[in-house]
Amino acid sequence: MNLDELFNVNSVCLVGASREEGKVGNVVLKNLKKNFKGEIILVHPVADEIEGIRCHKSIDSIPHPVDLGVVSLPSVKALEAVSELAEKGCKICIPVAGGFGEQGEEGKKLEEKMREISDRSGTRIIGPNCVGVIIPRIGLNTALTSGDKSEFPSDGPIGFVSQSGALGLLAMDEFTDSGIRFSSFVSLGNEIDVDETEMVRALERDGQTKSIALYLEKISEIDEFLKACRSASEKKGIVVLKGGQTESGNRATSLHTGSLLKTSFSLRGIFRQNGIIQASNEIELIDFAWALSSAKPVRGRKVAVVSSAGGVGVIATDILEMQGFKVNRTSDQLAGKIKSMISQIGSPFNPIDMTAEATNIQYENVIREIDKSGEFDSILAFVLFQTFGVTEDIIDFLDRFNRTSSVPIVVGMIGGQYSREIFRKMTQRGIPVFPSIHRAVGALSALYERGEFLRRFER
Amino acid sequence: MTVIPEHEFKERLDKLGFKQPRRFLINSPDDYRGAFPAVLKVSSDAITHKTEIGAVVGDIRTKGDFEDALKTMRSKFPNETIYAEEMARKGIEAIVGLIRDEQFGKLLLFGVGGFYSELIRDVTFKRVPMDRYDAEDALAELSFGRLFYGYRGLKANRELLIDLLLKISDFSVKNEFSQVDFNPIFLYENDYIIIDAKLVV
Repeated sequence: MNLDELFNVNSVCLVGASREEGKVGNVVLKNLKKNFKGEIILVHPVADEIEGIRCHKSIDSIPHPVDLGVVSLPSVKALEAVSELAEKGCKICIPVAGGFGEQGEEGKKLEEKMREISDRSGTRIIGPNCVGVIIPRIGLNTALTSGDKSEFPSDGPIGFVSQSGALGLLAMDEFTDSGIRFSSFVSLGNEIDVDETEMVRALERDGQTKSIALYLEKISEIDEFLKACRSASEKKGIVVLKGGQTESGNRATSLHTGSLLKTSFSLRGIFRQNGIIQASNEIELIDFAWALSSAKPVRGRKVAVVSSAGGVGVIATDILEMQGFKVNRTSDQLAGKIKSMISQIGSPFNPIDMTAEATNIQYENVIREIDKSGEFDSILAFVLFQTFGVTEDIIDFLDRFNRTSSVPIVVGMIGGQYSREIFRKMTQRGIPVFPSIHRAVGALSALYERGEFLRRFER
Repeated sequence: MTVIPEHEFKERLDKLGFKQPRRFLINSPDDYRGAFPAVLKVSSDAITHKTEIGAVVGDIRTKGDFEDALKTMRSKFPNETIYAEEMARKGIEAIVGLIRDEQFGKLLLFGVGGFYSELIRDVTFKRVPMDRYDAEDALAELSFGRLFYGYRGLKANRELLIDLLLKISDFSVKNEFSQVDFNPIFLYENDYIIIDAKLVV
């Protein structure tokens, strides 16, 4: 059966729902109940209702078909439930619990049986040991972390797939707090059926997904995976955080190439051949995916830096130059125009410093002038709300500019609670904004790598 | 695993149009008809790291020195093939390698070459065959790659290097190997030359 059904689930059957606060079967039910737009069906051998939802005694006593089965039962019982759900024609099953292949021979046998069920019936299995699937557009959330202690994302552009469910949920909680939104989150668990390659293909087809973020520890079919990424990357940016050392299989010999392969092998070069941008930590993973889905690709190294704080521009310039960008001086003509727009004590050269006298309208005029000049390949604007004349109203301009400019823009911010509040409003509007100098520069690097890769298709 | 005698591999590379120093097989000192300074080398299928044991003598400036060096080398390696090359002027040192990896298939390595390559480790691995974009990207990926846009007076020719990477990629498709080293390759502003090349099949 087609995995794309996951984005259109109309009915969910939860097997193993629990009344007991804190139990997985209870947490999952509460998460499901919160926003799911379709029908929720519970199966419980004795309870008549849980959380106000009527329970069926068994799977085969459910009078109509179900799209998605979520199984919150220990391994042996989970296998039985999956088998019955498959018989019922359930399209996709998510066995939540662990206790399978990761726990030795017995568990591996159970997985083998579950795989056979999937092969025979066509029911797709995500997991087992899957800590959560979240599809905000239909309100689907099977996470086993409590909504009291963490936030779940609303619908957005990033498709997020993780081989570590926990790391995925943690990262999402943190980024959701900054207003970053996701088209989907899938914890792959033990991958007896659905794997990273198939998820890349499904996310390539999914119209709502604009960029793909993957946390991976092992890639089972490297050729297929790279091929899928290469194909998806024509349309969407892909970011991979690869955990665990990547061993290459080769035996060492006395040649330099072999010894460098042993000491210095990295997937980065091979990833870049296939349109995959490599992240080096979980923050970069989501930052880059956010940049790729919210900003335009960057087509060159020349960056105009705009800020209202001299030091911020200076540090940004240092980091940019270190990463191979060029913060060239503005031409006399452009500098002259900018000079007439900003404070007399400001600097119209690059980095452009509008000083603490900066206002929304100065930002707007200067940024538009840079766009018009054609002298730069991207604009890195630090919008600092500590500056008196800079207010929330600037969001409208930034949003419009981001959508209509010819030169891509990345926005950087620094600040506490007040600024973070505005930060969230910006991300909700789809503005590529990042909460520090080096993260803003990092986002720009990812956009540049994307721009370079896209040249392949533009002959 | 077999190491192909160096001079044989180098002759093959000559025929394929890879640029290398002029080379002469040496039985007597008169066999060397190249310019000085010269380098004398033992072409063995067993010895791979050889500066340590006197199998390479460089910077030979006169015919007399050449004769002396050859005599010493011959006494140390009575049964090996000896050859001599014109010594190339120093350039920016790069390494290009090929390796057959169990998991990733045929890979091309590109990076900083020479004495410091294993210390600096500014290298990238690409799957071969690769296209022009991959070759350009290999340069863009490394800190080392900035040399090709000019760095403190040093400059290497970017287009020539990209062509060379593609030529080596092409070699990797048409030939069997388990590992190949082109190390170092000297890069100049308008040229390149492969100083050493080794093939293990």
